[in-house]
Amino acid sequence: MKIAVLQFPGTNCEFETLVAVKAVGMDGEIFRWNRSAGELSGFDGFVIPGGFSYQDRLRAGVIASKEPVMSALKEEAGQGKPILGICNGFQILVETGLLPGSGKCGDRGSDRGSEKGTGKVDMALAQNVMVSSGKIVRRGYYCDWINLRHEASSKRCSGSFSIERGALLKIPIAHGEGNLVTATPGLIKKLNEEEQVVFRYCDRNGRVINEFPVNVNGSTESIAAICNEQGNVLGMMPHPERAFFAWQLPAFDPRKQRPDEPGPGRKVFESMKRYIEVNA
Amino acid sequence: MSQKINLRVWLKIPDAEAATVKNTLIRRLGFGRVLADVRKERLFSIEVDSGEPQELAKSFARELVNENKESHIVLIDELKFEEGYVPVKVALHIEDGEAISTRERLRSRLGFENVVDVKKATVWKLYFKTLKPEAEAVAREIAEKLLINPHKDSFEILS
Repeated sequence: MKIAVLQFPGTNCEFETLVAVKAVGMDGEIFRWNRSAGELSGFDGFVIPGGFSYQDRLRAGVIASKEPVMSALKEEAGQGKPILGICNGFQILVETGLLPGSGKCGDRGSDRGSEKGTGKVDMALAQNVMVSSGKIVRRGYYCDWINLRHEASSKRCSGSFSIERGALLKIPIAHGEGNLVTATPGLIKKLNEEEQVVFRYCDRNGRVINEFPVNVNGSTESIAAICNEQGNVLGMMPHPERAFFAWQLPAFDPRKQRPDEPGPGRKVFESMKRYIEVNA
Repeated sequence: MSQKINLRVWLKIPDAEAATVKNTLIRRLGFGRVLADVRKERLFSIEVDSGEPQELAKSFARELVNENKESHIVLIDELKFEEGYVPVKVALHIEDGEAISTRERLRSRLGFENVVDVKKATVWKLYFKTLKPEAEAVAREIAEKLLINPHKDSFEILS
């Protein structure tokens, strides 16, 4: 079971992501963006880690989305192989059209890049806008420990395959562009109805409050992660690899004192492994 | 009567973002046959309801332009560009936090209470090997394929 952790110029979370992949018992290696894209077919799953690919030039994720490796990755996704995009990886998947990847909602937007093997772009991860009591209280880059509520049923999505609906995960975020917006009519309704909303930002008790600081970036309906229709592609703004071990948790979390315990982010990587085992 | 002060700002040093966009358009999206070069400007459109616009423009430029690395020109109540390229203006159609922050900084922190509104955009200057109108058609295609995400950005061909 071999996982490719993709590395673009400016990616900066590839090594800890690879540690997480290996720690759950999968094999893996860092796959540089300029390797022959055809080599991707030798892998069972893929992670696009966080960072600032191409220095976020133009807008986060868009330059990487035009690389040949992403066209090849779309073909791998079509075969049902799991893909996990974390933070900048999520942004790349959105700009590639792999997420939400439906192409069924409305007809706005052009079929951008389709000749390059990428799909229609149905949404954007825009600049953070933090709103509280109807006022904008903050904008831009933000990092903190946040709570996530798992919205989909288990087995719906490769990256949350082993997580029960309603489970809460404490995982950190660190981004400036995670505000999910869309001009595609009916897209949010469809994502909700088809359980493509995988995680939402919530408070410590699991309540979704669509205001800062619970909704940390102004994302529509507090959406933190979505999957494609088939469920094999997951994009999430929070960083599970940064909460993989209990010792990575913040000082105020009592689990930090039990460093041998797994951290909450481990479940995402365990899910990917389980998904591959079940679908092999 | 309100007036609009347009500040066109560009880097004097090489613009890495423009170079990346050019590289992507030519090497990844197949525009090498028609595209010769890509440059970029920042555009501030500042609406004021009083004051001498040229003097105000100098003051705004001191705050918004880093003369060590940037050049600028001022245009009052007009926005025109040179011949030889197709200017594509890209701006957010959702709320532009940076523009709002700039307005508040000018009004509240720097005392320019005559500032009514600030709009911010990027102008991509696309140099083509072909002539208009084909160049404008390709510019539109480039905007849709790379320069904007239609869920947050809009574009306008200014020539």
